Amino acid sequence: MADENKPDAAPQFVKPPQTLQNKITKGGPGAVNLAALAKAEAVIENLSDDYLNWVSEDFVRLEAAFNTLKKGAPDDKANIDAMFSIVHDMKGQGGSFGYPLMTQISDLLAGILENSETFGSREHKSMRVYIDAMRVVISHKLKDDGGAEGKQLLMGLTLMRDKG
Amino acid sequence: MGTNNGMSDYNLARLNFLIVDDNKHMRALVKSILHALGVKNVLEAGDGADAFKELRHFPADVIISDWNMSPLDGMDFVRMVRTGSDSPNPFVPIIMLTGYTEMNRVMEARDSGVHEFLAKPVSAKKLYSRIRSIIEHPRSFVRAGLYFGPDRRRKTNTNYNGSERRKVGSDQSVTTPGVVSEVAVPEAAAEKPAADSGGGGDGEEEGGMSQDDINALLDM
Repeated sequence: MADENKPDAAPQFVKPPQTLQNKITKGGPGAVNLAALAKAEAVIENLSDDYLNWVSEDFVRLEAAFNTLKKGAPDDKANIDAMFSIVHDMKGQGGSFGYPLMTQISDLLAGILENSETFGSREHKSMRVYIDAMRVVISHKLKDDGGAEGKQLLMGLTLMRDKG
Repeated sequence: MGTNNGMSDYNLARLNFLIVDDNKHMRALVKSILHALGVKNVLEAGDGADAFKELRHFPADVIISDWNMSPLDGMDFVRMVRTGSDSPNPFVPIIMLTGYTEMNRVMEARDSGVHEFLAKPVSAKKLYSRIRSIIEHPRSFVRAGLYFGPDRRRKTNTNYNGSERRKVGSDQSVTTPGVVSEVAVPEAAAEKPAADSGGGGDGEEEGGMSQDDINALLDM
């Protein structure tokens, strides 16, 4: 180990090359302004139509993993990890593509996958409810907060979680 | 037309961006946002190992990396870029774009050497805001123990009257890339009380922090 990497070595500062700053200009044509930001947000809005197709594929994989989990051992780590990975992706994507309800429901499901030590019938029931809620968001195209239906759905899920 | 909301109008056309995410839809989304912001040159990689290979021939100015990837995840990738003996660009600014937003995760990312932390869900404004932060607040790099990365202090407290426990040598700064000097290192944000983790924000996860709270925590 080099001396400078020893825990008790004196901290050292290094000035990085300013390559990025040298490539930036301010203002003028092509600069990021309100119009450019609005255009970028519109791009996301346009992609949200495709999102339902993508998330449907993830949903099929999630259901398959869940069915495997129910049949398998209560500590099937490989399958739990696989489910978490799918749900984590869904959580990140939902709000990005205009479906924050999907992010919130995925978060509730991820909480079970991350924090439960075993997966028995109690956990299975909760997971089933969250997965069914996701199905409703997709099939009813509950964008943004999902209106009255979305609010009611989320309230029910949150109550269920709080009751344990 | 200016941004009129405190944002500065920067032209990003000459910057090279590397997007690292195992999810093709997220890569497509981030790439589309960057193109809409005027970026011309964007390269994609599916995980940390792929990205590290790409860096050998792609002169990235900014990396936007996911955390949860396999086989090489975002944290390992950042550490390889920062401290790998064969790293092509240890100084490249890195934005961690992730759904992991618990405080311990944010601090772990900071301590691995990322410049900025961006919580999913992503939006154009949030992404540009982190890019702008990199442009407007270039930071020195610090080698301290096993850490090598951007200075984790973003603000200098000029009213600080306490002892500088870690001060070694003089306060000289270095002007040549790759040349090091010994300087005073005030307390890192991790040693200060955490920011209020309440508050809203889009996409805030249970037990996680909103983007505003993350920014406040890292700005301490």
